[in-house]
Amino acid sequence: MVELAFFVGAFGAVGGAVAVVALRNPFYSVLALVVHLVFLAGIFLLLRAQFLAAAQIVVYAGAVMVIYVFVAAYVGGIEEPMFDSSPQLRIIGPILAVALFIEISIAVLGSSLTALGTEGTDKIGAGFGTPEAVGKLMLEDFLIAFEAASILLLVAAVAAIILAGRKRPEKKVT
Amino acid sequence: MPAPLLGDTSFVDATWIMIVKSILIFVVILTLVPVVLLAERKLLGRFQQRYGPNRVGPYGSMQPLADVGKLLSKQGFRPKGAVPILYEIAPALTVFSAVITLAILPFGDVQGGWGLYGIDVPIGVLYFFAFSSIAFYGLLLGGWASGSKYSFLGAMRSAAQLISYEIAMGLSLLGVVMMAGSLSLVDIVKAQGEIWFIVPQIVGFLIFLVAGFAETNRVPFDLPEADAELVAGYSTEYGGMRFGSYFFAEYIEILIISGIASTMFLGGWMGPGPSWLDPIWMLAKMLFLTFFFVWIRATLPRFRYDQLMTFGWKILLPLATLNVLVTAVLVVVT
Repeated sequence: MVELAFFVGAFGAVGGAVAVVALRNPFYSVLALVVHLVFLAGIFLLLRAQFLAAAQIVVYAGAVMVIYVFVAAYVGGIEEPMFDSSPQLRIIGPILAVALFIEISIAVLGSSLTALGTEGTDKIGAGFGTPEAVGKLMLEDFLIAFEAASILLLVAAVAAIILAGRKRPEKKVT
Repeated sequence: MPAPLLGDTSFVDATWIMIVKSILIFVVILTLVPVVLLAERKLLGRFQQRYGPNRVGPYGSMQPLADVGKLLSKQGFRPKGAVPILYEIAPALTVFSAVITLAILPFGDVQGGWGLYGIDVPIGVLYFFAFSSIAFYGLLLGGWASGSKYSFLGAMRSAAQLISYEIAMGLSLLGVVMMAGSLSLVDIVKAQGEIWFIVPQIVGFLIFLVAGFAETNRVPFDLPEADAELVAGYSTEYGGMRFGSYFFAEYIEILIISGIASTMFLGGWMGPGPSWLDPIWMLAKMLFLTFFFVWIRATLPRFRYDQLMTFGWKILLPLATLNVLVTAVLVVVT
């Protein structure tokens, strides 16, 4: 059962991710990204990270991607690419992608895999990944990092409002 | 006790009990939908000084059945400009996301080795929000894939409306979550043993109800399907049972919003009498709030679009934030 759930989640997530870059129509790309995020949430559930899974859906699928879908639907329906890709980019792009893949593979094989146990998720202890556990981590153990991130987000939000805000017409002095 | 597959829960039933419970919840709620449908039409009739449906069966009670028969026998039509697969998936997605939320509504505590709820997840309320955000894609895809400007405008309106009101809705429940100290709906009901949260959280309750009207696209927030402006909004191009699915999902969502509101603010299954009455109390509270939905529909006119946005962002959101702040201070102090 666990294996089945894993493979459904894994194939869904990878398939969604591939579809994001493979599809020509931006609207379908955005939808593929939503599919990817939902299946990724399923994988989080398998890892017993329930809070993360719910937050993933609420924040990414439910809020961030809604805006993307909104924009893609308004602008959408553009079948031809937004700009002509230059021949240099066509060569450099795949090279960079392969380089990144090799780098990640080295990192994963070198460190993360050794950290994996074969004991399974029964060993991580009750309450792992529940809102209580995540809350304790964020608001007690890593409070400063959490607050720094929230201030960063606040600054970004204010900046976005200022950048996007219309300039008010100057009042005429009579 | 078998270990749960996807995360920890405080109480786990055997697999066969889970299957029986799923079927039971399904049957009860799906039987309620036509009843609510009929009740709404009868009540609207009374509110407007007319009879409402009274031809099919005694007191018109067979009317929903006749409607379903009619919808089922209609041609499965797809407009020329529609996007093939998405057009068919969209209504199914809406129904799926509505029905799946039924699992977390608690109808009672653990009684005789049975938990009287689908599942008691620690993420509780977040589960509800997660699937209500998936429901949005059902509406938007339906409107977009229909290839009609009325559908598209309706879908865009519903998108903007959902984003605006979801935040206020989330914040309105935060006060309750803080007072109960848990996201689990079962724990939240248990925390209301002394006093129902509607008393200390009256502001949160009102905000939740208003946002709930907006989330279910009901009057006075039914701009996505404002028939005077947009024909029928996102469901304009849908006919037969595909339209029926949207309609059906809307009523399940009304029941769910009523259920969540009863659980969070009205003490859920709590009520006088022996414990076997608990599920009945819960259903009674849900149906009372559903009646409230109908009452409002008969009473209020539709908002203008800019009024809707202004109300959501400039009144509800600050009010909900203030409620959260005040509750947080009070919870820490007391």
